[in-house]
Amino acid sequence: MTREIEKKLRDTVRELLEKETIDRIVGYEAGSLKFSTTPLITSNKADVDRLVINPFTHSNLSVFLRDLCGKVGIVAKGCDARSTISLIQDRQIARKDVFIIGAPCDGVIDLAKVEKLIGLDRDEIDDIVWQGEKAAITFAGSTQKFSAKEVLADSCLGCDPSDFKECDMLIGEIEPIVGGKELGQDRIREMEAMAPAQRWEFWKKEFSRCIRCYGCRQVCPACFCDRCFVEETEPRWISPLPKWQDNLIFQVVRMMHVAGRCTNCGECERICPANIPLGSLTKKMEEIVDELFQYRAGTDKDAPPLMAAYQPDELEDLMR
Amino acid sequence: MNNSEPKIVAFCCNWCSYAGADLAGTSRMQYPSNLRIIRVMCSGRVNPVFVLKALRVGADGVLVLGCHPGDCHYLTGNYHTRRRLSITMKFMEYMGIEPERIQVSWCSASEGSRFAEVVTEVTADLKRISPNRLFND
Repeated sequence: MTREIEKKLRDTVRELLEKETIDRIVGYEAGSLKFSTTPLITSNKADVDRLVINPFTHSNLSVFLRDLCGKVGIVAKGCDARSTISLIQDRQIARKDVFIIGAPCDGVIDLAKVEKLIGLDRDEIDDIVWQGEKAAITFAGSTQKFSAKEVLADSCLGCDPSDFKECDMLIGEIEPIVGGKELGQDRIREMEAMAPAQRWEFWKKEFSRCIRCYGCRQVCPACFCDRCFVEETEPRWISPLPKWQDNLIFQVVRMMHVAGRCTNCGECERICPANIPLGSLTKKMEEIVDELFQYRAGTDKDAPPLMAAYQPDELEDLMR
Repeated sequence: MNNSEPKIVAFCCNWCSYAGADLAGTSRMQYPSNLRIIRVMCSGRVNPVFVLKALRVGADGVLVLGCHPGDCHYLTGNYHTRRRLSITMKFMEYMGIEPERIQVSWCSASEGSRFAEVVTEVTADLKRISPNRLFND
């Protein structure tokens, strides 16, 4: 099934390039490690056969769009398409310069979860594919099936496919296996069950591991400032030393900046070398934005950006 | 209840709240001296990072004061403040900061008494919770 879709994608992209509907394509190709993918950006028709679609297409490709010129085709999962729309809302890219190819997404498989589940390294696993609502994992000569809930990336658990509203072309169907908001909210509820002081202690511990590599910022399509506030020197908002206090402020302010833009694609958490549970923060921010403004990022290209709009009478209950 | 005097950083907008504070002063109204006022041209100038920085360097609470909705000198500045800081408040609560530490209110130039009242209330709020040790090691 994956093969068929891959073939369809390659044929489509080749045709689009030939007809000059698009000047270049941003997609996924197989990565150097087993069960990994890496972004492929090309204008060369010969490279099209390297494009892949599988359950490991984790990168949010919309992060490249601002830097590419000409008309760009993007192979987009639901969250990538939403991030693209969000960039259009912010006038970072023009709708006419991007051609969104909606790719089928059954949810991204978190390989770390799989490895933990079966206790084997990625090189010892032969194959991982979606079979209906289960992930079929072949290893040591036998195939075992696991429920989607066990292997899906956390960010995919709370995915709502109806948020995906705009594309130029759809290849296959877009429907995540595990729907339902509640699943993704488990982590937030756990956190909220703690006392405030405990929560602060928790984040203090987490952020003391941060090495300020800024991977979360670089990988985020919503983080598009040309100059980040952390690199300002006059005034210097946070110390350049990676102290936990400043690490925390950096991340909190980053979250505020991406509020209403973040589509909860989960890239910041995946990229984090210190394994800080940033997904818990993005999910909470998504929930706050939804609760206060009934706003879902990247669902309407004509809507003004959340923080550029207002209603005359809102939120007064939060003011003193 | 604690006996220490909280330090409060207040961001007051030039056109309403700062003038309101002025009126409270010239009318000789009593309000706690825990406030350190920073004048900004509009409450919309207040970046969430200002609020966090104030807490980071030891303020026990931050109070942002702007014109009443609809009365902004720049027409819509305080509407943006409201959105931005609502998110800040909600999010910081999730991080584990007491909600009393970040507060937003409106106060017009003619409301000297309201200014004194808000300041008194916020000071009382902050006296109820422990001093800010959030960013201590």
